[in-house]
Amino acid sequence: MSETYLPHEFQYSSARHQAETAISGMWLFLATEVLFFGALFLTWIYSRHWNQAGFDAGAQQTQLAIGTINTVILVTSSLVYSAGLAFIEVGNTRRLIQCCALAWMLGLSFLILKFGVEWYLDFSAHLFPGPDFAISGPLSGGARLFFVFYFVSTALHGLHMTGGLVLVGWIILRAQRAEFSSAYFTPVAVVGLYWSFVDMVWIVLYPLIYLVGRGS
Amino acid sequence: MTQHLRRLWLTLLLLLVLLAIEFGVSFLPLDRAARPLVLIPAVLMVGAVGTMFMQVGQGPTIVRLFATSGLLWLTILLGLGSLDPMTRTDYHVQDASPK
Repeated sequence: MSETYLPHEFQYSSARHQAETAISGMWLFLATEVLFFGALFLTWIYSRHWNQAGFDAGAQQTQLAIGTINTVILVTSSLVYSAGLAFIEVGNTRRLIQCCALAWMLGLSFLILKFGVEWYLDFSAHLFPGPDFAISGPLSGGARLFFVFYFVSTALHGLHMTGGLVLVGWIILRAQRAEFSSAYFTPVAVVGLYWSFVDMVWIVLYPLIYLVGRGS
Repeated sequence: MTQHLRRLWLTLLLLLVLLAIEFGVSFLPLDRAARPLVLIPAVLMVGAVGTMFMQVGQGPTIVRLFATSGLLWLTILLGLGSLDPMTRTDYHVQDASPK
């Protein structure tokens, strides 16, 4: 089917124009998200620079195994979603739904491991930087700063993941209603960009939280 | 189609290899100030996700413009923000408060 015959909103010259605008719009949004998370990365640089020993002492208390498993889960979910996009590009809706469902379940597993298991262990070990914080002595200040960064960054990332799960669920529902085809799959591509971006953020957060302070 | 899927699988393999390198390097006894070098595989992983999963190179020109702008502003933010802690010299000052 030629794109000339595809329906599009009146303000666009063609369906291709409409698709490119949607994809560009998502990239513009992601550029603002880069700055949003960039400020978080800057706090990490600043806080660690002035409190290296305490900051690293805090990092050594994190659950490395869970963080690593979660990283594997997220990069795999990105691959699975990208495969779904490749399938709908050739018109295979059934495979798109399967891939999106698997990506959704992987995303949910990430959230369960992060907030249901890891945060639970962290709170149980008194690692929340409150009055009964577990680390005392001269390293306490830096370790507290680390755990402020840890809880804020993982909460913000978790919120983005939750938004991603809603969006992937929306794609599954629309795909089940046969709204996508090899000629029209722009929402699938746009949500895929967001999903991979959330993965990218975690790829950076993972070494900042679990690895940099580990061997010192 | 098959070739595209193969590329995606190879990307996942690359990501997992980089993750393993990053994981292994983090246990090396590096100097505390040099430990952020552990982030190098993460930067490569971000590049792989951007090019292979998000296909930044295949979109319209404005997509590349937005992606480059995001990176540029991030570099400015982190670069200027890090300038003070990286260049300031701290001099130890003796406590002069009355005993």
